[in-house]
Amino acid sequence: MLEVESLSVAAGDFRLRDVNLRIAEGECHAVLGPSGSGKSTLLNAVLGILPPQEGHIRLSGTEITYQPIERRGLGYLPQQIGLFPHLTVRDNIAYSARARGIPADQFRPLMDKLVEATGIGELLARWPHTLSGGERQRVGLVRALTSQPRLVLLDEPFTSLNQSLRRELWWLVRELQQQRRLTVLLVTHDLTEAYFLADRISVLMSGRIQQSGDKTAVYRHPATPDVARFLGVNNLWEGIVTGQDGDYLTIECPTLGITAHIAAGNNPPTLQTRVTVGILAEHVALRDADHPPKPDEHTLTGRIRLLDFGPRWLIQFHHVASGLILELHMNRRAAEHFGLKDAKTSIMIGLPNSGLFWMRTK
Amino acid sequence: MKNRIPISLRHTTVLAALLVLTLYGGLILSLGWFLELPTLRETLTSARTLFSIQLSLVGATVAACLAILLAVPAAYALSRYRFRGREMVDTILEFPIIVSPAALGAILLIFFNNPLGEWVQSHGVRFVFTFAGIVLAQFITILGVATRLLKTSFDEVPLELETVARSLGATPRHAFFSVTLPLARRGLLAAFILSWAKALGEFGATIMVAGTMAMRTETLPIAIYMRLASADIEGTVALILVLVATGLAALSLSRWLLGKVAHA
Repeated sequence: MLEVESLSVAAGDFRLRDVNLRIAEGECHAVLGPSGSGKSTLLNAVLGILPPQEGHIRLSGTEITYQPIERRGLGYLPQQIGLFPHLTVRDNIAYSARARGIPADQFRPLMDKLVEATGIGELLARWPHTLSGGERQRVGLVRALTSQPRLVLLDEPFTSLNQSLRRELWWLVRELQQQRRLTVLLVTHDLTEAYFLADRISVLMSGRIQQSGDKTAVYRHPATPDVARFLGVNNLWEGIVTGQDGDYLTIECPTLGITAHIAAGNNPPTLQTRVTVGILAEHVALRDADHPPKPDEHTLTGRIRLLDFGPRWLIQFHHVASGLILELHMNRRAAEHFGLKDAKTSIMIGLPNSGLFWMRTK
Repeated sequence: MKNRIPISLRHTTVLAALLVLTLYGGLILSLGWFLELPTLRETLTSARTLFSIQLSLVGATVAACLAILLAVPAAYALSRYRFRGREMVDTILEFPIIVSPAALGAILLIFFNNPLGEWVQSHGVRFVFTFAGIVLAQFITILGVATRLLKTSFDEVPLELETVARSLGATPRHAFFSVTLPLARRGLLAAFILSWAKALGEFGATIMVAGTMAMRTETLPIAIYMRLASADIEGTVALILVLVATGLAALSLSRWLLGKVAHA
């Protein structure tokens, strides 16, 4: 459906370099990245505001790289939603039909369906400035979809809303996307939003796509330490590849004093290569000191450094011997079982080989 | 400890604002010293005065319409596009403000005495000492201000709204007429009324290009000058009051219209 090939775009001093992206029909693809990574530049190039210096953008096989915005067949929902303040909700929604010269009787059935699906029937006669944040988002979404776009572009449209309203709109977008088989390109810096809405994600940093793929695969196996840190993986340390046995690498981790056996993957490093080893916080297990260590698991003893009593408890573990800080998630019941009450409590943790992954260190 | 009377920022600034009113209001009220009702009635009903009022109103309206017609696309380009010469255009908008109206009129008059100007006069429209000259002088004087005001209005319309309109299938022209222009309507109206008011009171450039011919090129400001030059103080006062009343009525109308547009 959408193919972005070797795209380079300049926006002031910033440059988006050699971006490749493929979004299949009916797929929601999130481009994730920190502020200033080039998300909006990429979106603006696909939208047609920024002409690329190199590369191609194709939609359903048609080259749209230099096509004017109005001929690209896109639906666009920007951060500020962009409702026309001088038009009522009804006229905002009907704008695309009027702009394209579509008669009202042809346009009406689609509009009625979308209005009903999003529950904005009572808002039609109102002016945009009288709408709440959530209502504006719904109207903007309906307006973007009434043009029957081939691709919907969402530019962090839910960032200004509170958490419960955002979640409500995420459900609505997902429902509409699945019902209508919409192809969506979402740019966001919000991991939760991206993981909630998208099927696949691309991580964009410093103007380059660092990693693209299935959202679970990207999260479980980040390609670089930068991607891992951006995805919230803070359990990272250095290692050296000392051997390969079939599909598994042997990696010495001198900081922690362990020798890990990690799946080599498709493009394994050569021996003596320095790599970064990591593990997700939810894969780190709390262990009972009285029980014998599990096979294929590395146990470490240390102290609790900090406890975060959020919806899921986050524990910072201080490995005293190396000085390394690791994070682990835990629910309240498990924490109570282990008698974790405050910082400085001595604990033992387990790092299963199956949870460890490696990345090339720059 | 001495008791000090606190002079707040509010006191100082409100006093300054009232001083502005006192200065202008006082000057207008001082006209009453020389106001004679029979002279006022006679002046207001004289064919020469009525012609001047009509000439001023028509001239200012035509000049303001022409200025807005050119200023709208020029201001839009300055607001939205980056093009070669943009900075120069932006700077030259202040030209009519920094050069006195008399100098501006003199420049026009000198232009019509060079070969190109003479050709324009002989093959196109005659400007020197004609109604067209009045309109041209006023047009040149107000064009910069109209463009500057409109550019500010277009700047205030988020570019994103045009992008959204285009993503919904509107051509750039359709997006301009259906989104940008309606959203800039307050500024458009303000620019028209202020340009019109400035054109109505324009004197320096008009007298240079159109002269002072009674019943031909005698606008209200020129008529005021002519009366004063002939030491007819009472007649001058009467004409000044006509100009002041017309101007204040236009400004009141503009404030009312702007209020209506703002709530539309």
